[in-house]
Amino acid sequence: MGQGDPPHASIVMLTYIIRRIAQSLIVLLAVSMICFVIFQYLGDPVITLAGRYATQEQQEAVRESLGLNRPLYVQYATFLANAARGNFGLSYVSQVPVMKLIFERLPATAEMAATAMFIALLLGISLGVISSLRPRSFSSRAIMSGSLLGISLPTFLVGILLILVFAVVLRVLPPFGRGRVVHIVGTWSTGFLTLDGWRHLILPALTLGMYQLAVLIRLTRGGMLEALQEDYVRTAWAKGLSARLVIFKHALRNVLIPVVTVAGLQMGELIAFSIVTESIFQWPGTGKLLLNAIYETDNPVIVAYVMIAAVIILSINILVDILYGILNPRISYD
Amino acid sequence: MIKRLFHSRVLQHFFKDPLAIIGVLILFVMLIGAIFAPLIAPQNPYDPRALSLQDSLQPPLWMPGGKAPFLLGTDDQGRDILSTILYGCRTSFTVGFSVVLLAGLIGVTIGLIAAFYGGVLDAVTMRVADTLFSFSTTLMAMLLLGIFKGGGIPLVILAIVIADWVRYARTMRGSTLGVKQEDYVEAARAIGSPNLRIMFRHILPNAIPPILVVAAVDFGAAVMLEATLSFLGVGVPINEPSLGMMIASGKNYIYAGMWWLTIFPGIALIAIVLGVNLLADWLREEINPRLKRG
Amino acid sequence: MKKAVALILLGLLVVGLAGLVGVAKDTIIVGVGAPPRTMNPYGSDSDANLSVMSNIFDGLLQRDANGDLMPALATSWERIDALTWRFHLRKGVKFHNGNDFTWEDVKFSMERLKQPYPVSEFLAFGNLIKSVEMVNGDPWTIDIVTTVPTSYFDQNLHQIFIMDKESTENRSIGEIGENPIGTGAYKFVKWVKGSYLKLEANENYWGGAPSVKYAEFRPITEPSTRVAAISTGTVDILQDVPVELFNSIAKNPSLQVITRPARRSIWLGLGNKPGTPTSDVRVRKAMYMAINEQEIIDKVMFGHADLCSQIPDPPTVGYDASIKRLPYDPAQAKKLLAEAGYPDGFMITLTGPNDRYVRDEQIEQAIVTQLSKVGIKVTLDSKPKAVYFPEVDAHKLEFYLIGWFDGSYDFGRSFSKLLHSVDKDAGLGGLNGSGYSDPTLDKLFEASSGIINPQLRGQELQILNKVAMDEKIAIIPLHYQEDSYAIYKASGVNFTPRSDTWVVFKDMSIGK
Repeated sequence: MGQGDPPHASIVMLTYIIRRIAQSLIVLLAVSMICFVIFQYLGDPVITLAGRYATQEQQEAVRESLGLNRPLYVQYATFLANAARGNFGLSYVSQVPVMKLIFERLPATAEMAATAMFIALLLGISLGVISSLRPRSFSSRAIMSGSLLGISLPTFLVGILLILVFAVVLRVLPPFGRGRVVHIVGTWSTGFLTLDGWRHLILPALTLGMYQLAVLIRLTRGGMLEALQEDYVRTAWAKGLSARLVIFKHALRNVLIPVVTVAGLQMGELIAFSIVTESIFQWPGTGKLLLNAIYETDNPVIVAYVMIAAVIILSINILVDILYGILNPRISYD
Repeated sequence: MIKRLFHSRVLQHFFKDPLAIIGVLILFVMLIGAIFAPLIAPQNPYDPRALSLQDSLQPPLWMPGGKAPFLLGTDDQGRDILSTILYGCRTSFTVGFSVVLLAGLIGVTIGLIAAFYGGVLDAVTMRVADTLFSFSTTLMAMLLLGIFKGGGIPLVILAIVIADWVRYARTMRGSTLGVKQEDYVEAARAIGSPNLRIMFRHILPNAIPPILVVAAVDFGAAVMLEATLSFLGVGVPINEPSLGMMIASGKNYIYAGMWWLTIFPGIALIAIVLGVNLLADWLREEINPRLKRG
Repeated sequence: MKKAVALILLGLLVVGLAGLVGVAKDTIIVGVGAPPRTMNPYGSDSDANLSVMSNIFDGLLQRDANGDLMPALATSWERIDALTWRFHLRKGVKFHNGNDFTWEDVKFSMERLKQPYPVSEFLAFGNLIKSVEMVNGDPWTIDIVTTVPTSYFDQNLHQIFIMDKESTENRSIGEIGENPIGTGAYKFVKWVKGSYLKLEANENYWGGAPSVKYAEFRPITEPSTRVAAISTGTVDILQDVPVELFNSIAKNPSLQVITRPARRSIWLGLGNKPGTPTSDVRVRKAMYMAINEQEIIDKVMFGHADLCSQIPDPPTVGYDASIKRLPYDPAQAKKLLAEAGYPDGFMITLTGPNDRYVRDEQIEQAIVTQLSKVGIKVTLDSKPKAVYFPEVDAHKLEFYLIGWFDGSYDFGRSFSKLLHSVDKDAGLGGLNGSGYSDPTLDKLFEASSGIINPQLRGQELQILNKVAMDEKIAIIPLHYQEDSYAIYKASGVNFTPRSDTWVVFKDMSIGK
């Protein structure tokens, strides 16, 4: 147990964080190697690039200019050196630096994912708590049935049905796209600052957040039910503190630990399902970029996407670990 | 031990839980339908000789224009929707069972060994597991199938298993660590029982219930993932549609008022996953009796 | 917390109900099926790309909505001899960056066509060009000399866009692929990949300032999303109405639907490598006769296609009205198969795209079903165009679905790409997916290409076409696609579809 006086604990935590970062770097290296090796055995980019009618000589010229004729380890070393500087080369298809392509589109995905996560956390935790307080009431049963349906409904079906209802039948929300965006800084344009942007955001964010929402309701409810039976909560009840304080201060705090962990671990799922959601809603984000890259065998884009996704997922995991420590000071960092 | 558990308490509880019964009933009906599809289905939708374009886009039987024997109508290639759903369920169940079996076997073995022997082996496997877990099965399967295009169902199963064994390994490791220090395991060790025997006789039986819960949840997830992959066009081949593919190719017809191409396979897919989840919920509560259902 | 939830729900409601605010319309938004790949005008020869490019760039020549060749950056042109073409260039034209258009730009552009890197999908055409020179020191008159007699040379120049030499040489490949600088009626404003491409009217356009101030391309690939977009007026014009949803759109009173017979034929390529079943012309005939194309048009295309009997369409040089389809006759097909020694059929793989032509994937499945009735067991290999077309280029397919629309209106060019024996260095058979090879047809083609007289050459090409279709069954023709557009009536957009399916904003206007 990492208990003790505060300075000691913070040092423990610091070394822990450093160790986690080091581990993450090893993971990234492994991911990069896997990416690199896999793509060596996939479709020849030269044919895509040189055009359908290029002669053998012209193809060779292209191969040379791309450095695809050098030995593998040299190519990998170059790849790593470039990747470390954020340079993943040019997209085979559009001849534009890959990082630029991805960063152009990252805001769209980030805003959708953040909104989805926000909806899921807010509604998930509150509905979970509500349904745990009076587990036998009608509303609790409705929430639980809803959440069961939520985890049983595939994301793509949710998206199609939402478009059908809100865009086609009721005609209150736009069916696709991101709407009007406002440029903030660099490649970041936001849809948060316009009404149009919000109207476009609602359906995709709901679609993406639905599954997480259902998972979080169930998790919160389970945790709350368990916590409410704990001795200390019962004692708190008995002591006559107001009910709200009991629930939020004691029970909910304990419940938040698994919720935060799962929400963090769901980051990968969120990224994966953003691909599905973006393809349904024509959302101009990275997920749609990846799907197109997969269809077109645009390897630099796929590699860069995977690497960036890995960095995001690993950093969020580290953050979650730290948060975990704050929520639960009793945890050990070994 | 398992026998006793299931005979005495569990079955009684089961019959008191209407949701669990509904779940099992749904699954049972769908499973029977899937297994006996070649006998029940009015048509083999995967055999082009059985199809005719003249039968395409027929509405369900009870609607005006409906035509026998197409109870739930037909799709744009003249495939009987009911038959295709039955055959599609075969794919769903094949994927579900294969993933649970393969991933379960791999995961349980790795988790058990890692926890039992501990040390570096444990540390390394669990790091790998954590990493794989955080990357999400869906994302990995999507990338894998996107890269190796057109591998059909075996590749779909493989892609899911590669990421999914982790769920079992983590659970197995947890329960193994839990029982490792128990008196009876220590005792078995003390009298010099071989490791294999200890694992199979003493540790495995205790770990089975939580693994069952994981398996149930995983089954649903695998079915849903296959549907998602097929929906994105990286799963099954187009002329042997599974439920996800049916939904994908039928969704455009919703706007033309032909809802049966999407809605029926959608219902079938939800039914399977819902059935599995109901069962999983019951199992979970059965194993952790502290969570009384409301 | 309850309050917060209520507030957010209220907020969502308000946002959801807020309608569109009326503003004077100065923008036309067109929903298109495929996104442009690049802003490099030679980077893609797909119509999706050329359609966009034609707004930003000009060629030496252009085509009007009917497909007739018209002057553009060249005010007039003539063929001097078998190899030489003379162009009189337009004076006083400026690129969007202010640079003057000169003959140097033409020379530079023609040479750039030949460079495989960075990306030229017009390599074969570029390689036909031997030189571009001033005539008698007059920078406004140039001669382009080809390496071999190329009767259709001028017919292709509407899709060869002229780039600015100075800015192209001084910018990186990435820049050129993202920020196009042309002489066209519209200037590039912004391209958010996968979302929209915005253009602004070029007030100094040599053909007069266009009447619509802003133009937007919105690629929408999902058919259902496309319909939602036009039904809600999110786009003003929708190109390629999904045929399965055609009736529901036609019934919508706020939409107007326009169709026109398309120039693109859809057909099946069939290899004839010795030893394969399909090298026997009886087998080819049998497969042809086993396909019920009328059923495909009725059930798969929902009536939105026309029977076709050959690759070219009527306006194309070499089209022959006397070529008729073989009748649908499965009994006769079975008999032919038996005669050829395949009474129980054989196995073959049909390869085709699933995101290129109208209902391509559904057509492929229908073919599989229909051929199974005469005992031919077809394995379907349907894939995205980005994977499929490189396979066509590799000439190793057995049986494949492809569509063709010749921008140069010349069957000679079509034949040389699609059916001529593969000869990479001569630029022949580049899109011959199966490596089909027939010396008789090759000879007929070679005979036609030496003829300069257009009349005689046309007749020769008709003979080539007839022999290929009637005698050799070089391909199995299916249908001509129908072009369709839906217009959101309230937008007040005046739009006439073009024969080449390009979306050209300078031809459009808003209001009466």
